[in-house]
Amino acid sequence: MMEIRFHGRGGQGAVTGTRILATALYYEGKFTQGIPMYGTERRGAPVVSFLRVGEERINERDLVHEPDMVIVLDPLLGKSVPVTEGLKKGGMVLINHPRGGRDTGLGGDFNVSSVDATNIALEEIGRPITNTAILGAFAKVTGSVSLESLERAINEQWKGRIAEMNINAVRKAYEQTNAPVDVSDLPPQKVETKPGELNVSSWRVYTPVLDKDKCIGCMRCYILCPEVAISMVDKKAVINYKHCKGCGVCTEECPVDAIDFVQETI
Amino acid sequence: MAKKFEVMVGNKAVAYAAKLARVKFVSAYPITPQTTIVQYLSDMCATGEMDAEYVTMEGELSCQASAITASTTVRSFTATSGPGLLYMHHPLHMTSWARLPLVMAVVHRSTKGMQPDQMDTMSQRDTGWLMLECQNSQELLDTGIMSFKIAEDPRVMLPTIFMGDGYILSYTSEPVEIPDQELVDEFLGPYRRPYPMFPEEAAESLKLMGAMWSNQHGPQHIWKMQQEAAMNAKIVIKEVNTEFQKKFGRSYGNGLVEEYKCENVDAVLVGMGTIASTAKTAIDRLQKEGKKVGLVAIKSFKPFPDEEFQRIAGYTKAMGVIDRNVSTGTKGGITFTEIRHALYDLDERPVTLNFHAGMRGQEVTVDGLKRMAEKTLKAARGEKVAPIVEWVGGN
Repeated sequence: MMEIRFHGRGGQGAVTGTRILATALYYEGKFTQGIPMYGTERRGAPVVSFLRVGEERINERDLVHEPDMVIVLDPLLGKSVPVTEGLKKGGMVLINHPRGGRDTGLGGDFNVSSVDATNIALEEIGRPITNTAILGAFAKVTGSVSLESLERAINEQWKGRIAEMNINAVRKAYEQTNAPVDVSDLPPQKVETKPGELNVSSWRVYTPVLDKDKCIGCMRCYILCPEVAISMVDKKAVINYKHCKGCGVCTEECPVDAIDFVQETI
Repeated sequence: MAKKFEVMVGNKAVAYAAKLARVKFVSAYPITPQTTIVQYLSDMCATGEMDAEYVTMEGELSCQASAITASTTVRSFTATSGPGLLYMHHPLHMTSWARLPLVMAVVHRSTKGMQPDQMDTMSQRDTGWLMLECQNSQELLDTGIMSFKIAEDPRVMLPTIFMGDGYILSYTSEPVEIPDQELVDEFLGPYRRPYPMFPEEAAESLKLMGAMWSNQHGPQHIWKMQQEAAMNAKIVIKEVNTEFQKKFGRSYGNGLVEEYKCENVDAVLVGMGTIASTAKTAIDRLQKEGKKVGLVAIKSFKPFPDEEFQRIAGYTKAMGVIDRNVSTGTKGGITFTEIRHALYDLDERPVTLNFHAGMRGQEVTVDGLKRMAEKTLKAARGEKVAPIVEWVGGN
């Protein structure tokens, strides 16, 4: 039996991705079990789900503690979540990362393969929903599921244009996946954010950048920021990047376009 | 005919059970983790896939009350979870009092939190409903269909709950075979109205319900008849399980209990629902190590299979009973006390141990179950083990 753990953020579709992969692997003749973890999910908050793949009915109903493979849907998640915990020796990490390989900050007795799922999703879907792109990469690195099965499963989940966009993302990711790299000589990942710490800066895909000269001090962004991450100093807005999740409300609402929305570079 | 499979979550399997049973009335009020059941049903009703009256009620109390009224004339269905079931408590008694074969799905949710345990249905155990527990999504679908057959049997005529753990089943995707509609129609047959709607039906319903409403009897008679019906259900459940096996090729133990790898064992673990499912893996691994331990999964909680446990006591020296519930103030969990009660009449009784596990969604792991089985084996060897009742996992 193969056990996989998904790490993602609320909104990236880890749960839907798990279900699509469970369906696709079922089309390959496997018995599958896709287990989402439900709690108080919010957009951007770390989420986890599990997938078991076996030859016959799977009786286990507990969670996966020692996965054979970890799939990480977000490049910066490793800073706040111990994503490689419990991963079997010689296992594999498949991570969404622009460069991947030895640059992911992950190290240990396993291989790391990667795909730039965020950019593929932005190009094909128009939003940083990375679940389907990562499944294309999964098909490439494991060879355990065919693109046809994935596409069939996606067509079952969505119809029309949305299905089409996601299938394009899967195909593109399949082509652009980086081969597994051995990282056994690298130090293990360092979890920087401590539990309970109010630093959500790693949740952002886009960052608001304020042009102080343009700001007229109208206080709209100050009032509307859902995270109270904007304060007013000398009648000008100041963004606290520790609390900003990159939702883009300020950019949208600024009457003088003083706030630019720039994609984060990793 | 090619078998139709779909990878689906447990809640969808429940919705399919209601659809395939050709339910004509659905009273719905959403509550986590049951919510998607009524969402699937509302979709099915809206698209015309299912021909039923779908009514969104303003709460569970009226949900049950409207289902009572509807089930006097048509096959009806409702579903709920945890606190929602508690809110239904009073009408639950009324449903069994009126002997209506209403079927309800309960997705276990703790009465003191969001995560699953059996406290919701255990709090309703004396309402006169039959209760059937499920281990996986396929079992949810199949038990749903069987529940209608059991409840509507003239020897039973009692409302029935079929239940499974929230989250662990309700939102977990796995492949489920969808039975053929024609076969389900043959299996269930049309709904027999317990109360007449037209004059020509009067004779029939008098046969079903007549004795109940006769004024020759004293006030206790309703309870006595209800009790007889529940005891009859033990026979009916077994029959329905066998018939289901013949028709669809699947069955769940003997309908009352499922004995898993119990040949030539010294001890058994006893569990219910998803805990029993996980325990199967623990038993597989232990037997590979040469340990003689099996598993008994309780499928029917009400009626409680006393006779089955008396029979099982004949081949085992120790029983380790796992309870995802607690009856505060009583030593041991609810199935533990029921099993001990069943064994009391025997001359030779096995040692019984109790484990409280999985309360409020506390994870029950394969390793944890292996340890429980090993403790039970130790007791089977005649060694002293303590405590008799143990809380497992982080408390």
